[in-house]
Amino acid sequence: MPKPRRILAGLAAATVLAIALAGCSANASPAPGSSTEAGAPVTGGTLVYLEHQTHTGLYPPGAGFYPNGGIVNNIADRLVYQDPKTLEFEPWIASKWESNADATEYTFTIRDGVTFSDGTPLDAAVVAKNFDLYGLGDPARGLTVSEAINNYESSEVVDKNTVKFHFSAPSPGFLQATSTINSGLLSDKTLDLTFEKFGPGNAANIIGSGPFTVENEKIGTGLDLVARKDYKWAPKSWSNQGRPYLDRIQITVTPEASVRVGALLAGQAGLVRNVEAQDEPQVTGAGFEVFAPQTNGVNNGLSLRFRNEKLSDIRVRQALIAGIDRAELVKTIYTKNYPLATSVLSKTALGYVNTEDKFAYDPKKAETLLDEAGWKLGSNGIREKDGKPLTLVVNEAAPQPRSFDALTLVSQQLKKVGVDLQILKADAGTYAKAIQDADQVQIYHSMVGRADLDVIKSQFYSKNRNTLLNRDNSDQSIGDPKLEELLEAVASTADPKARIEASQTVQKYLADEAYVIPFFEEPQVFAAATYVHGFASESVGRPSFDGVWIDKK
Amino acid sequence: MRYVLGRLGQAAAVLLAAFTVAFILLQAMPGDAIMIKFENPELGLSPDQIAALRQAYGADTPLPAQYLHSLLGFLGGDFGYSIQSGTPVRQLLAEVVPGTLILAALGFVSAVILAVGITILANLPGLRRIADVFRSLPSLFVAVPVFWLGIVLIQVFSFQLRLIPVINPGPIEGLILPVLTLAVPISAPIAQILIRSVDDVLGYPFVAVVRARGADPWWILWRNVARNAVLPAFTMAGVLFGELIGGAVVTETVFGRAGVGRLTADAVTQQDTPILLAIVLLSATAFVVINLVVDLLYPVLDPRLGPRRRARVAAPRERKVVSV
Repeated sequence: MPKPRRILAGLAAATVLAIALAGCSANASPAPGSSTEAGAPVTGGTLVYLEHQTHTGLYPPGAGFYPNGGIVNNIADRLVYQDPKTLEFEPWIASKWESNADATEYTFTIRDGVTFSDGTPLDAAVVAKNFDLYGLGDPARGLTVSEAINNYESSEVVDKNTVKFHFSAPSPGFLQATSTINSGLLSDKTLDLTFEKFGPGNAANIIGSGPFTVENEKIGTGLDLVARKDYKWAPKSWSNQGRPYLDRIQITVTPEASVRVGALLAGQAGLVRNVEAQDEPQVTGAGFEVFAPQTNGVNNGLSLRFRNEKLSDIRVRQALIAGIDRAELVKTIYTKNYPLATSVLSKTALGYVNTEDKFAYDPKKAETLLDEAGWKLGSNGIREKDGKPLTLVVNEAAPQPRSFDALTLVSQQLKKVGVDLQILKADAGTYAKAIQDADQVQIYHSMVGRADLDVIKSQFYSKNRNTLLNRDNSDQSIGDPKLEELLEAVASTADPKARIEASQTVQKYLADEAYVIPFFEEPQVFAAATYVHGFASESVGRPSFDGVWIDKK
Repeated sequence: MRYVLGRLGQAAAVLLAAFTVAFILLQAMPGDAIMIKFENPELGLSPDQIAALRQAYGADTPLPAQYLHSLLGFLGGDFGYSIQSGTPVRQLLAEVVPGTLILAALGFVSAVILAVGITILANLPGLRRIADVFRSLPSLFVAVPVFWLGIVLIQVFSFQLRLIPVINPGPIEGLILPVLTLAVPISAPIAQILIRSVDDVLGYPFVAVVRARGADPWWILWRNVARNAVLPAFTMAGVLFGELIGGAVVTETVFGRAGVGRLTADAVTQQDTPILLAIVLLSATAFVVINLVVDLLYPVLDPRLGPRRRARVAAPRERKVVSV
């Protein structure tokens, strides 16, 4: 249940936010995701970067966790580079690539002269070894398969510069998968490490070919990224083609949000991650810049677990959608960096199609639908059917921004149409169990960022995140085989155009069946001091430090 | 000597019990670290993949075997690996224990100094009129949330006055605010008890006798009252260790310091059993040692609690020995 203190804080923050927004809505802000340039870049200097959480491991397939990804993105290169704006691909470690017509075979040509930071060459053999591990995993060493790689079978080293990958079924998402941090290329020796050795305390021994290396790790407090002076294989579109401008980035873990923002404003840090929505006005008001790169994937929102008895009636699901004022939610809890969702996918995601009309707010309609479905208003204002109240449970998505505040507001909105929405806040073990059971958690709050069409499959497919619990964990049965089929089509249609259509079919299907309630397009929010220039991020909002420079001291 | 050996035996039994109870409790909790880590939907692993990982981690080994394995490992100094991050628990502890020890020790010393200071101010002969102000300080200190205090100190001293950086401070600079944050709530109960015992002792007949013989208030306070009043506060200090750990969790989070407190908080959220077992044992050891030291020091502070022989020798010289 919401604690009064949190609500009060939320109200106070909302008021401040509203006043601040009203006051400065006329101010133009720089485009999110890239900082404004000023003069010629300066080489040298140390940037103090405040992280929200401590990293938990640098095994690339497990680097989805932001603190991990922020490091991996800067120490490991990828075969191909995906432009975070256009989402187009360009050469990086692979100078060219091709695949066969049904996307079951990919050939990459590896460029010459690239070395890992331990001096060993980056050649076809080591690339093959990387993907054998990421594509197949190694449970004996505790190393998992990369979620981004589907249907991987084997690799084949054709010659020193050519590597071929074979797939058991079409894998059209593979090219994009090679561009994600989950496919960061590591040295031969590093690939022999066990899961334990990828953990904190050993970060300096994770060897990649990226523009930075790790030094000075202090478990739980942070580490330094140190520039590789001989780095010269950046993707063509990067502003910086030589060594990184900065000498060093000092990553310092600062869990407390007010301390991160305060330290930035007081000049003790140059860049901070995870500026909370309620703190944004304070940062911009003091003349600092806020960057909010988009995560380009499945929007922050709710999955309605239709296999649960209460939600099995589509009218109840439609009523929930109609009963939630998403516009008020985004306006009250978030800022303009959190655009209102218009589909299950983000506008900037590949294959996006607008299904906004299915998510309209209409409390009258919600009440009618619930009446029709047999849920009659009880004496306490909560609807009932066969003596059972219409009580639903949603999880607090702790990693997502202000999840609890957002759900509290949604709960208040739904109360007006007679739905009792409870928020699950629990210890990790209880939580991990509860979210896998539709009888305990009927509505699942989450999002997933990945700039590929596969992202929608990652979120909803029975053998991936399975957020709808279409596959029941107790008996492994599938509730909606049609959804499964549609998702499989996205992941295994070789023709690019047909694949986009497959994704759009899923988006429409999810909206038509009222399986989802998307809230907003989730950004990663950073703030930087005015002396920091050239801030950029990869396609899911992890910082790229190669082109960052500072003009202070 | 036999007394000391007996106490050591007791200590060992307490530690074994703590280990066993912690092991059972952690097993009884819903879910486990492997589930939290790998069944997290964010990894997108299929049920088959999760099953393979569970097997690789030996999660299906019978509990008694797991217990025995952990116990033998602990006896040999091997605390296992963190399930969440894979780092050896010993390495994690080695990194954080010194920092927390320094923080806790300085915090405690400062708390004692603060408490003594408050007590003296509350009893200073010249300050009788405003003594009540000092007397109410402990209640105020106890009521201040550590979290809030830490943030206020940072806001004022680091962000407004810009005296001490909170990000990447020097080794000494970095301790000032956290130690202060920790010391304030810890000093409160000590000060409260000190003030109370001073009041008690001041009411004893022997004080009246000393006063009648012409001793000035300072002499009474220092020579007669202080030594008698310190004993209850000393007992309290042993108990306060637990609060010190609790305060460290918050302090370390607010100030972004690596430490046992933050390690514990993270391990609890992730149900990281090997870390939690090691921390339970570490805390139990610290508790046992501190209480042992306190018990062994009693006779030094108060001869009445020592072996009879010493008490009899000491009694005639010490005027303060008055039955309680």
